[in-house]
Amino acid sequence: MDFNLSKEQLLIQRMARDFAEKYIEPVAEQIDRENKIPDDILEGLAELDLFGIPFPEEYGGAGGGYDGYVLAMEQIGRVSGGIAMTLSAHSLGLSAISVFGNEEQKQKYMVPGCKGKHIVSFAFTEPGTGSDPKQITTTAVKDGDHYIINGTKRFISNANWPGAIILFARDDESGKPSGFIIDKGCEGYSISEPWDKMGMHGGMLLDVYLKDVRVPAENLLAGPGMGYPILQLGISFGKVGVSSTALGGMLAAYEEGLKYAKEKMHRDKPISRFQSVQLKIADMAIKYEAARWLTYRLGYLANNVKDPRQFAKEAALTKTFVCETAFEVTRLAMDIHGSYGLMNDYKISRLYRDTIIGPQIEGVADMQKMIVAGLTLAD
Amino acid sequence: MNIVVAMKQIPDLQQIRIRNRQPILDDVPLTLGNIDKNGLEAGVNLRDELGGKVTVLLAGNENIEDTVKEALAAGADEAFLVIDDSLDRAESSVIANVLAASIKQMEEPSLILFGEGSGDNYSGQVGSRVAEILNLPQVSFASSIEIKGNQAVVTRSLEDGEEIVQVDLPAVIAVLADINEPRIPSVTQILKAGKKPKEVLELDELEVEAGKAMVITTSNLAPETERKRVVVKSVDELIQALTTEGYVGR
Ligand SMILES: Cc1cc2nc3c(=O)[nH]c(=O)nc-3n(C[C@H](O)[C@H](O)[C@H](O)COP(=O)(O)OP(=O)(O)OC[C@H]3O[C@@H](n4cnc5c(N)ncnc54)[C@H](O)[C@@H]3O)c2cc1C
Repeated sequence: MDFNLSKEQLLIQRMARDFAEKYIEPVAEQIDRENKIPDDILEGLAELDLFGIPFPEEYGGAGGGYDGYVLAMEQIGRVSGGIAMTLSAHSLGLSAISVFGNEEQKQKYMVPGCKGKHIVSFAFTEPGTGSDPKQITTTAVKDGDHYIINGTKRFISNANWPGAIILFARDDESGKPSGFIIDKGCEGYSISEPWDKMGMHGGMLLDVYLKDVRVPAENLLAGPGMGYPILQLGISFGKVGVSSTALGGMLAAYEEGLKYAKEKMHRDKPISRFQSVQLKIADMAIKYEAARWLTYRLGYLANNVKDPRQFAKEAALTKTFVCETAFEVTRLAMDIHGSYGLMNDYKISRLYRDTIIGPQIEGVADMQKMIVAGLTLAD
Repeated sequence: MNIVVAMKQIPDLQQIRIRNRQPILDDVPLTLGNIDKNGLEAGVNLRDELGGKVTVLLAGNENIEDTVKEALAAGADEAFLVIDDSLDRAESSVIANVLAASIKQMEEPSLILFGEGSGDNYSGQVGSRVAEILNLPQVSFASSIEIKGNQAVVTRSLEDGEEIVQVDLPAVIAVLADINEPRIPSVTQILKAGKKPKEVLELDELEVEAGKAMVITTSNLAPETERKRVVVKSVDELIQALTTEGYVGR
């Protein structure tokens, strides 16, 4: 067992850290305030291949594997949760095409996605459900060599950007959910105003309205009725990104807590001399270290998925632990700050609003535990 | 134009912890000197402008085979490596002999670039020594380099002004940190670095009488900062105190 990172992994980690510190950090607060990622940051991310790290070069990716992806995403997430969320949702969509798409679909939709010319979406959630595929109400009706899609999708990341959206609808032939690749901005596709969510600003969240959208049958992903397997495996890959994003937020919170403990003085001495503060520092260190290795391991596992069910379990347990722990660590760092942490002038308040999101997305924590328990009992 | 950039492997200074005023170097990841990266960036920019190739030259322990990927990711075309454990602590004159002998084995470069000082010891001697051994003109403290025909026009940033000099090529130039902003390599460039051509020699294959002088560090203590513990009660008092100490209003 070797826990050392390779030179390439270290360089990918450093590259993302350098870019995040040099270019994102100076505008991180502006992104939070304006809920918008500046164009030059998106261009910079594209130049460094951060839109396509894990995907093969023949489809425009960097071939850096999911191990490289988690390392880079942690560093981006450390500085901006909103940017990491954008990349994570984008990579989730790409991973679905990468695993289930045919050659033509991969060439057409992955190449511009991996190059950062498009930002991809993955649309499952509806006003009625975000957890249960059986309750999907968006419909796809076959009409010759097209499908006609109607419905509403809720809380869809990146729905405002040009590119592909992997959209789940119940098709009338199989009666089951199927996955479709749709061009955002095609006729009949429209979006709401962005949701005013409490954190991860810059990551855009919108509702999507589909009114008689005509999709060529060749845009069906992996065949009719294949929606459930695409969802299960796609979202498992998505959890690699969500976990890394949460890990980055956790690292930032840990650093903020530590810094404050060393700087804040009581009776001429830093508060880090209080045992109660030291216990919090120990808890933060323990939780970060555990979460880090679980996340890195998930990146390693994602590189070579042999059994999708086993991978779904690993992804669910990692995502649950890391996202819940990220919020716990942020809370500890917040407590070290006292009332100052509640002020928007302090970074920890933004991290608090960012890290509270992880447990509620890509399957809420309770649903993750049900996946873990179900697969553990079945083994 | 063939450009050689000499770079030194050093411990990553950002990751060194200090305990009892001593740096802890065990298990610190290795990297390349910061100003050396400016030298590389200058070389890569000139190559992009004028064509040719950039060869990065390292002498050090066996880890340089891995560390050099950093330079290859950041735009160097190929690497020339001289490996020997003794080179780690070798004195500047020894390193200069090794680097000069290495350069003699290459297709004659037009430009040999150094950082003004290494990231660890900052002796600032190696570039000048190499120029002497190879009998080449040398320019130090370069804050910009422009190639005009068979000459380089170099701006030297000195403490009390700027000097612009013209030098015939081939030449040795040592650059300052503010000559440029080293690029951040992309994922693809990082992954391709290991596949770029590398010539790897053991020190004895180089057949040079490099010398044996070593740097022995007898003490390497972080400076102790004496805090003055001045307590002020108002902004006015703060300004007064800072003015008295000579930090503002100079
Ligand atoms: C920042 C952000 C980004 C997002 N991006 C996307 C995106 O790109 N694409 C997308 O499709 N969605 C996205 N979502 C939506 C998100 O994935 C869903 O909201 C989430 O999965 C939860 O669904 P829900 O809100 O409908 O909750 P519900 O499914 O209604 O769950 C509510 C509660 O009921 C419980 N519950 C539900 N079903 C069961 C059950 N069977 N048994 C026991 N308990 C149950 C849950 O534990 C939970 O506590 C995003 C959300 C956010 C906040």
